[in-house]
Amino acid sequence: MRADDFAIDNCLKCSICNTVCPVLSVHPQYPGPKQLGPEMERLRREGIHTDSKWVEYCLGCHRCDVVCPNQVPVSEMIAVAKAEHVKTPVHQLRDWWFARPGLLGELSTIVPSVTNFGLSMKPARALMSKLIQITPERKFPAYTKPSPRKAETNGKERPQFVFFPGCFIRYNRPDLAEKVVNLMDRNGFGTEVAATDCCGVPAVANGAADLARSLARTNIKALAAQVDAGRRIVTTCSSCGHMLKTGFGSLLSEDKELAEGARKVADNTFDLAELLMMQSDEGKLNTDFQKTDVHLAYHAPCHQKSQGTGRPWYHLLGQVPGVSIDDLDAGCCGMSGTFGFKEEKYDVSMAIGQDLFASVRASDPQFVVTECATCQMQIEHGTAVNTMHPVEVLLQAYEGRNSK
Amino acid sequence: MESNRYDVVVVGAGIAGLTAAGAAAHQNLKVALVATGPGSFVLGTSSVKAHELLEAGQTHELSEAIAFCREMARLAGCPLEEDAADGRWLPTLLGAFQRVALAPRALWQAAPREGASAAVVGIHGLTTFDENFMADRLNENARRIGSSCIYTAHQISFTRDFGIPVSSVRVAKCFDRDPSFRVEFASALRKAVSGAQYILLPGLLGMNSSAQQIAEFEREVGCAIGELPTLPPSIPSLRLSQRLEGYLRRAGVEFFRGYPVEQIEIHEDSPIRLQVASPGHPMILRGESVVLASGQHSASLLGGQCAGRDQQMHPLTAAGSAMAQNLFVAGSLLDNGSGNSGEAIEILTGYRAGTLAAATRGCYAGR
Repeated sequence: MRADDFAIDNCLKCSICNTVCPVLSVHPQYPGPKQLGPEMERLRREGIHTDSKWVEYCLGCHRCDVVCPNQVPVSEMIAVAKAEHVKTPVHQLRDWWFARPGLLGELSTIVPSVTNFGLSMKPARALMSKLIQITPERKFPAYTKPSPRKAETNGKERPQFVFFPGCFIRYNRPDLAEKVVNLMDRNGFGTEVAATDCCGVPAVANGAADLARSLARTNIKALAAQVDAGRRIVTTCSSCGHMLKTGFGSLLSEDKELAEGARKVADNTFDLAELLMMQSDEGKLNTDFQKTDVHLAYHAPCHQKSQGTGRPWYHLLGQVPGVSIDDLDAGCCGMSGTFGFKEEKYDVSMAIGQDLFASVRASDPQFVVTECATCQMQIEHGTAVNTMHPVEVLLQAYEGRNSK
Repeated sequence: MESNRYDVVVVGAGIAGLTAAGAAAHQNLKVALVATGPGSFVLGTSSVKAHELLEAGQTHELSEAIAFCREMARLAGCPLEEDAADGRWLPTLLGAFQRVALAPRALWQAAPREGASAAVVGIHGLTTFDENFMADRLNENARRIGSSCIYTAHQISFTRDFGIPVSSVRVAKCFDRDPSFRVEFASALRKAVSGAQYILLPGLLGMNSSAQQIAEFEREVGCAIGELPTLPPSIPSLRLSQRLEGYLRRAGVEFFRGYPVEQIEIHEDSPIRLQVASPGHPMILRGESVVLASGQHSASLLGGQCAGRDQQMHPLTAAGSAMAQNLFVAGSLLDNGSGNSGEAIEILTGYRAGTLAAATRGCYAGR
């Protein structure tokens, strides 16, 4: 019996996973996590052909894993099936690119203004829809020339932390990296921005397991060396954080040494808000906030919830005088990274988001605050309410400027 | 740099855990609840059978605990109805009747009504519920309990696609989020059951719907509706679970969902340290007092050394002394003597442990 066979038998068929699946509740044909995960996994392990296009519809939100009373890694099983699924040539081409936000970022930021202009043009988007089935309904995020790929620090002699920025911050919002370093500095932590690659979540989501593995290898090498040098890792993208903390999923189980490195990285990775909340609990948080009169609504990304750390951003922002903040607690936004960009999945993505959009409208905030870039895109797309990264809100509270 | 500090930490989100968290939050304390899944009560009907209440002993404290739990459920928008003296006959999954002392209102309304004609309504494509079987069984069993209620089977179809077979989860979620579906649903019911005094449906009236929303739906249909138990997961029970969690969140309870407590450390005269198996480094919670209400999982946390509990809800060592003055147990855990008294014991011990845990707050200087 393989060690991981245990996890299949842990599934008691209680169907509680199905009750929280965002896709199942809006898509009448989607079989749901119980069937696509543990049930089909049994057949897959017997070598029975079970290829199903529905595995492509799994968001990888991990809500099924989180709710399972028996800790069955349901979505991990679906991710394995996704990697084996045979796609149409068009989807293969499109998803090849979607699995590589790092490469896309590198190319797009050679001359960002040209990329942004091109991506904003209607004919270009219509062409992408025709050729590779990327929905013309959505706008791409604007690319920004990244700071050169060298370590940046906040001047502390020996930084205690290394910041893992992730692709979105690196290629679209490099200003956020500076803001993170600034926030850390204000709380006494020296921080250096890592020159790392994509975390691999988009690769897993798009079925590119080999790519995910090679990204994991590169990242583990770089990050484990940092840990050995006595540093800890801080993230502020919930998906990167999830990947780093879960030891890169089950991608590396065959390579003992890498798995050991992954464990080291996982043990030493902190979400920025988690870190600051720990400081707050110890009475060590810098609470030198200026009064900031603003009504905010907080949306917790699925990959934040899957980290099992409670609601640190919600509590931190609530400590700023003048801030009123609602926890939207309205489920998944439906975007799931590249999922919402796919033409055939756009309607599903928007249907999932309806609960959250209604909750945003009911709260009627000046800004929705969420740390996930693609949740931000979806919320702005679905509600026309502006979003902010919590890092920006907290920094503004320190600096005493009113929001945006 | 490691802890999340709370006055009371409750482990487990079953009826016992939720009641304990509610009782502690009621004292205006900082409360956290850690749990993996929802409590196992979502697999059943979340009702208290009449004989369970008798076995638990109808003490003043139990009445108080049930009153507290009912008040919490009412504020959560998912009221529990009670008849502690006699109980009510309620239909089971297989169309029999059993005496129930306490149940969610939607299930409570499924009790037989004297001389009434009840429409048992199935949904086309919902293979987990057979209205003909149910109506037959209910007619037969109603005679056995001396009821004159007459059951007739009906079926309605939805114009919307809920999959093949129809999934009650999809129907319930659509009921929650789409008012136009509720209108269509009500109109289909009105057409199918003209003449019936009340309607019995499999449990699917929303995963998170409030009693008020269900009452509005009944007005739209024009008669009372009772829900029948279904195969797990039970939607009326999930509704109770979700609404109680929502209420407790509003009352300030912080929920840590998804990962089990893997270790507890007891130090004399200081808060208890709980290590939660979250991804990466474990998350640490500190509770001035801790209530363990996660069944067998709690038993293994105590290292198998627990030899029962005392009246103050402290788990006992083999030598018979309390393991710690700030550690409490609740739920069916360790209540070997309680027999088959299920949810009643959950409510009673949850209430008592939550109240006692709240009372030990402030005993320790380690804050």
